[in-house]
Amino acid sequence: MPLIDPSVVDLSRLQFALTALYHFLFVPLTLGMTFILCAMETTYVITGKEIYKEMTHFWGKLFGINFAIGVATGLTMEFEFGTNWSMYSHFVGDVFGTPLAIEGLMAFFMESTFIGLMFFGWDRLSKPGHLAVTYLTALGSNLSALWILIANGFMQNPQGASFDADTMRMQFNSFVSLVFSEDAQAKFVHTSIAGFVTGALFVMGISAFYLLRKQHVALAARSFRLASVFGIISSLAVVTLGDALGRLDYLVQPTKIAAIEGLWEDSNAHGSATAAPWLLFALPNDAAQTNIAEIGVPYVLTPLITHSLDTPIPGLLTLEQQAGPRILNGIKAINALQQYGVTHDAASLATFKQYENDMGYGFLAQKNAPNQDLTQITPANQDAIVAQTEKDTIPNVFATFWAFRIMMFLGFYFVVLFAFAAYYSLRNELEKHPLLLKAALWSIPLPILACEFGWITAEAGRQPWSVYGWLPTFQAASSHPVGYMVFSLIGFAALYSAFIAAELYLMFKFARLGPQDHHAEPTVGGGATMFGKPQVADKSWQ
Amino acid sequence: MGKLFKFIGLAAALALAIFLAVVTGDFGAWYFAWLVGTTMIVLIASASAVMFDTQESNSKGEV
Ligand code: HEM
Repeated sequence: MPLIDPSVVDLSRLQFALTALYHFLFVPLTLGMTFILCAMETTYVITGKEIYKEMTHFWGKLFGINFAIGVATGLTMEFEFGTNWSMYSHFVGDVFGTPLAIEGLMAFFMESTFIGLMFFGWDRLSKPGHLAVTYLTALGSNLSALWILIANGFMQNPQGASFDADTMRMQFNSFVSLVFSEDAQAKFVHTSIAGFVTGALFVMGISAFYLLRKQHVALAARSFRLASVFGIISSLAVVTLGDALGRLDYLVQPTKIAAIEGLWEDSNAHGSATAAPWLLFALPNDAAQTNIAEIGVPYVLTPLITHSLDTPIPGLLTLEQQAGPRILNGIKAINALQQYGVTHDAASLATFKQYENDMGYGFLAQKNAPNQDLTQITPANQDAIVAQTEKDTIPNVFATFWAFRIMMFLGFYFVVLFAFAAYYSLRNELEKHPLLLKAALWSIPLPILACEFGWITAEAGRQPWSVYGWLPTFQAASSHPVGYMVFSLIGFAALYSAFIAAELYLMFKFARLGPQDHHAEPTVGGGATMFGKPQVADKSWQ
Repeated sequence: MGKLFKFIGLAAALALAIFLAVVTGDFGAWYFAWLVGTTMIVLIASASAVMFDTQESNSKGEV
């Protein structure tokens, strides 16, 4: 199998990263806002107070803008698998296609149908009927995310499939293993709740904007209260679930967790594993395979990652060495597979089966083999090729280390911000803390940033694999001309930037406009009294 | 008679919920945690809004 031009692979990766990161600017808000709308409407149905209906309408409108623009950005990615990653689609299409199809046919349709009812059904449905529709919309949008994360979970930790030497592709064996894979589950809860944090900070931040201006106070004070309480529980959950994901990486993706922690040597290389420091700051140097500078907190790493006090964690240098025998086995597996492809003899198949689990490492070695042909590996050049391939088995440590750190630091910042916000809101003392309100407003984009860095951690940390341990990324792409890739990349960047511009324009416009107050401010009661008279905006922060 | 049917219906729904909880609890502990956790987050957030109105009417009552 000839290798694809490396620039085409890089451009395909860049294009996928770009479209995925653009898409994920919209997704978290959808995941979170739908459930915040549920909370608002539930309050309306329970109390019967019109203000909560008004809240659901107003925030629903902002959610609608995000949904309408964001949904289009996701569709392109489903096609990209076929156009730019055709080798990948061939290799795992049987497995990967299933969750993608369910996402498109079930969850996305469910979500879209109920969104229509949610927006236009207010006068046609009973109160509980409409509430049920809002819940189903929220469930639908999160189920869409579920199926995508099940698909991604398979790429991180392939479950429920095996390689078929006759068709040369992965064969789907168990739907249950795929759906209930621990990776898929943990990814879903972490990502969905990350969306809750995003939605909560969005509502809280815009409410803070109104409170600072003393506008729409009745709606803003209630929205702030609801969002801050929603946010504090969600931000605590996202940190806890993040820890669970990290532990899972330790169990099934050792190279990723070592890169996340900037761990070149084993955690017990300089004494006991118990005292190993957790790095607060480091500058990993990938070329020199070491950290240039480090600031660590001793005794934290081992319990954090292994949930024990003395289990050693293998470092990247050890993991590279451990890959050596797997690379040799992988070379045998691929050679036997190629032989079997020609002769279909039982002996080749038996040899392949013996080394099948290391097949991916054979693919990985192909890049370094003479003429990219594994049969040309001889005892004379074997050691050099294996040594070079060993280095290819670890991800970019700098990118993975820092993407994770930024996400994590932001996670703790959200906990603190929501804790203060909920505390002062519950005491009705927000007006005494304008700085907190400003922090809430300015923090609106941060959860989206955390999500983007989360994805960079997950995907950069999975490299060099597109399916961990089975299929290297450079084998997964399509063989397009470079010009075509550059052209489509520029096209997507321009189109998606236009989407972002449209979203920002509409969001700013409708958020500034605020809810249509059909009545004078204080008639809705609550909260209005706490913030005094409306004022002309202080424009300094705008 | 109507009440009895309602009771039986609700009891059946409860039994189904418990059954699903046991099954998802066994196979998909994280999914189960998400269902329970999300419901809890939504309801607590909603309760905090109701509390806002109670605080508001209490403070008005005191004036
Ligand atoms: C202490 C806090 C956090 C920890 C320990 C943590 C941990 C992790 C880990 C280990 C991954 C990589 C998963 C993989 O291997 O595939 C990840 C991914 C991710 N994180 Fe976080 N995270 C934290 C906070 C946050 C926050 C605050 C957000 C957003 C508001 C967030 C959003 C994401 C997203 C969207 C992904 C990619 C999807 C996924 O793999 O689930 N994380 N996180």
